[in-house]
Amino acid sequence: MISYNVIGQPIVRSDGFEKVTGRAQYTGDLKLPGMLWGKVLRSPFAHARIIRVDTSRAVGLPGVHAVLTGDDTRGVRYGRRLFDVPPLAEERVLFAGERVAAVAAESMEIAQNAIDLIEVEYDPLPAIADPLESMKGDAFLLHPDVNDYVGLPKKLEKVSNVFVTNTWGKGELDTGFAQADHILERTYTTPLVHQAYLEPHSCVVFIDEDQRIQIWAANKAPFALRQQLAAAIGVDEDRIRLNPTYIGGDFGGKGSPMDVPLVYFLALHSKRPVRMVMDYVEEFTAANPRHPSVTTVRSGVLNDGTLTAWEARIIFNSGAYGGFKPGVNLGGARDVAGPYKIPHTFVEAIQVYTNSVPGGHMRGPGEPQGIFAGESHLDEIARILGIDPLEFRLKNLVGEGDVTATGSLYRDVKAKETLEAASMAARYGSPLAMNVGRGMAMGARAPGGGETHVGVIFQKDGTVVARTPILDQGTGTYTTVNQVVAEELGLSSDKVQIIPWNTDAVSFDTGIGGSRGTRVASQAAYAAAQNAKQELLRAASEIRGWDPSNLVLKDNKVYKGNTEDYIDFDFVVQNCGFDIQGTSGIEDREQLTVTAFCAQIAEVAVDVETGQIKLLRFTSAHDVGQVLNPIGHQGQINGGVVQGIGYALMEELEVEDGRVSNVTFGDYKIPTMADIPELRTVLVQSKNGVGPYNIKGIGENTNTAVAAAIANAVEDAIGVRVYSLPITAEKVLAALRESNV
Amino acid sequence: MAKLHVETTINGESTEILVDPQQSLLETLRDGLMLTGAKEGCNDGNCGACTVIMDGRTVNSCLVLGAEAQDADITTIEGLATPRGLHPLQQAFLENAALQCGICTPGFLISSKSLLDSNPNPSEEEVRFWLAGNLCRCTGYDKIVRAVLDAAKEMKAGN
Repeated sequence: MISYNVIGQPIVRSDGFEKVTGRAQYTGDLKLPGMLWGKVLRSPFAHARIIRVDTSRAVGLPGVHAVLTGDDTRGVRYGRRLFDVPPLAEERVLFAGERVAAVAAESMEIAQNAIDLIEVEYDPLPAIADPLESMKGDAFLLHPDVNDYVGLPKKLEKVSNVFVTNTWGKGELDTGFAQADHILERTYTTPLVHQAYLEPHSCVVFIDEDQRIQIWAANKAPFALRQQLAAAIGVDEDRIRLNPTYIGGDFGGKGSPMDVPLVYFLALHSKRPVRMVMDYVEEFTAANPRHPSVTTVRSGVLNDGTLTAWEARIIFNSGAYGGFKPGVNLGGARDVAGPYKIPHTFVEAIQVYTNSVPGGHMRGPGEPQGIFAGESHLDEIARILGIDPLEFRLKNLVGEGDVTATGSLYRDVKAKETLEAASMAARYGSPLAMNVGRGMAMGARAPGGGETHVGVIFQKDGTVVARTPILDQGTGTYTTVNQVVAEELGLSSDKVQIIPWNTDAVSFDTGIGGSRGTRVASQAAYAAAQNAKQELLRAASEIRGWDPSNLVLKDNKVYKGNTEDYIDFDFVVQNCGFDIQGTSGIEDREQLTVTAFCAQIAEVAVDVETGQIKLLRFTSAHDVGQVLNPIGHQGQINGGVVQGIGYALMEELEVEDGRVSNVTFGDYKIPTMADIPELRTVLVQSKNGVGPYNIKGIGENTNTAVAAAIANAVEDAIGVRVYSLPITAEKVLAALRESNV
Repeated sequence: MAKLHVETTINGESTEILVDPQQSLLETLRDGLMLTGAKEGCNDGNCGACTVIMDGRTVNSCLVLGAEAQDADITTIEGLATPRGLHPLQQAFLENAALQCGICTPGFLISSKSLLDSNPNPSEEEVRFWLAGNLCRCTGYDKIVRAVLDAAKEMKAGN
């Protein structure tokens, strides 16, 4: 191993001081002179025709500066890729919670009063909340014009509510099933869940005296938002500037324009800065939660446990719009087939419009849904064959040179090692008490690619400023940039200050997501630091007349080769007569041979009288490259696991008559500190990483296999399987009763 | 509606402020006094991001009226550090990376302070119970538990 001074150390977060003192400014903390409050009127109906919107009383209320309806934004559509979302509904509302009218007023109270004065006459229409109903040929169309939408990946031959389909696979399914000794088909469902970042969506839009559109938004992909907004409202991107702000959690949910296009129109009409903050009821009913899914898996296997065929179809309920996901579909769906060497496979993922809240991205989009189905299914096959689930997985997992079920080939494959490490740490196989069980599941996640820039500027006081266009939503990218720059310049971490850039500063940044942060930011920070270092050495050589090719930067000094002759670097910065800086632009979108395996083992006790599940222990094993910051890395693991525990056991946005009915954290329970069992982590060292430090990503695959591991543990404990998340006491009890019939 | 004149003490300083009768303490702090450290998460008393200490008790400031601050003694996150430096809890949160996005952090720190004020030597179980009213979606909580226990140890050693 290469030894580092700052890399690999438990460095304090670069944003830590501001955050523990309450000084960190989030979008909702911002106040601009003359700023108005924006507020939205939302549809109570899942599907209705809008007959009439009367805003006259709201317009007349003192303190109200703008009142907008669909007429004011007519024709505008936005999205992350597929532009199908209107800022305000026009003829029809397609989900309960859809925006129908909006106001901007001098206080929150006046804004709310104005909203209450708007009269809307609806003609309620039949609604389809079930994607299986919506897929049928005779279902009414939510989007009859879908073929005209910007961003639709492929025109539909026949317009239906199924607006996008992706497939993966290899071999010949018929051959695989013909070889099989056993064929098993099962269907699994996963619920609508919320990312539950604690900072609701918020934004401030202000059109300044130069007609520039100044924006602060809880959005982790500001350059993409600039593109999306420019295209939606028909202005040049140059007119729009996204300004840096702290973001209070994301988990995939903070990458869409959400209310920004609407607030732009409020700012345009009121000629004032406008702030809009969703309240949490709006978050639960009308943001962009994780897609519910219905997945059918059909597998073929030999008596000896060799998988021969795997067919899976995942139906994602997209809700009323498809604009909240950057890929239109969810690519993680392919992980339903997992890191297994199955010769004959076919996986299909489809997105279906329904009259419910539109789905968006959440931590490994498509993966938790697919992996819950796939890894539950694997366990059931193993039990039917009488093979231990661990042994069964080890037999079918990819090794070096093996292609995965959906055609990926990786190097330095640590799948089996990771599973074995998890099994050791969890003491898999050791005796268990009655009604206690262990279950496992696996996932794999390659770090995503993208583009970013970093600037490194030496300061006259001997410190360094590092600039980044990335907005850290909590995952620690500022600290990554800090550590890389400090490492490469031989400084301690506290000498490097991170100052984020606005979108004017560089051409593009992909934004956080897809476990790309560390991959992309570490390369950019490394290159910028190297460039800055060369500039510093050049400046030192000019001051001293030394040969620039033989200088060494060490301990805040520039040494002449290996001699004791040196010059302090702050002296160089102060006396060279120019600014010493280095910049970099990195574009790394290569499809990698690097992935990161994750194996998780849950241990649960089930009360067979009540169905109550108690999670006793949870073990998470990960194959890793160089860990840049062990405490930050551990936080991503713990946080992901705990989010997965919520998905497995507690969380579901319940939809009744098309409306989300549990709209507070009192009713929508997420794990608290008291709900968390002992968490064990094992790291398996891999040599095949990315970039100058050989890293892998950790953000997403910590949460993708958790639910399946818990479902498998429940079956191990009491012999019954629950095929739908969350695994509640009621479902366990029902499954127990059914098995006893 | 007529505004109410409220005299209160915030972070040791006597303060006078005009509040709307229906305005929450959270809104009063954030919009009236520009103390934006307390955060609005759920605004219905479930998430704990707005926690402040009022007359020795932790309250969700979104559920308290600004008018109720009359004659009260209130501590917010802005009052945790002193001119001598960070509070041991703040230091321990930094060292344990017991924060990520930071939106829940002020509430956790204030609740933790209130715990250590009343129970300087809490068990892990007591920490988990006391802080179960504060939600965090980033950290998985483990590092927060450790930070609070570390701070308790540090404060005991320092006394």
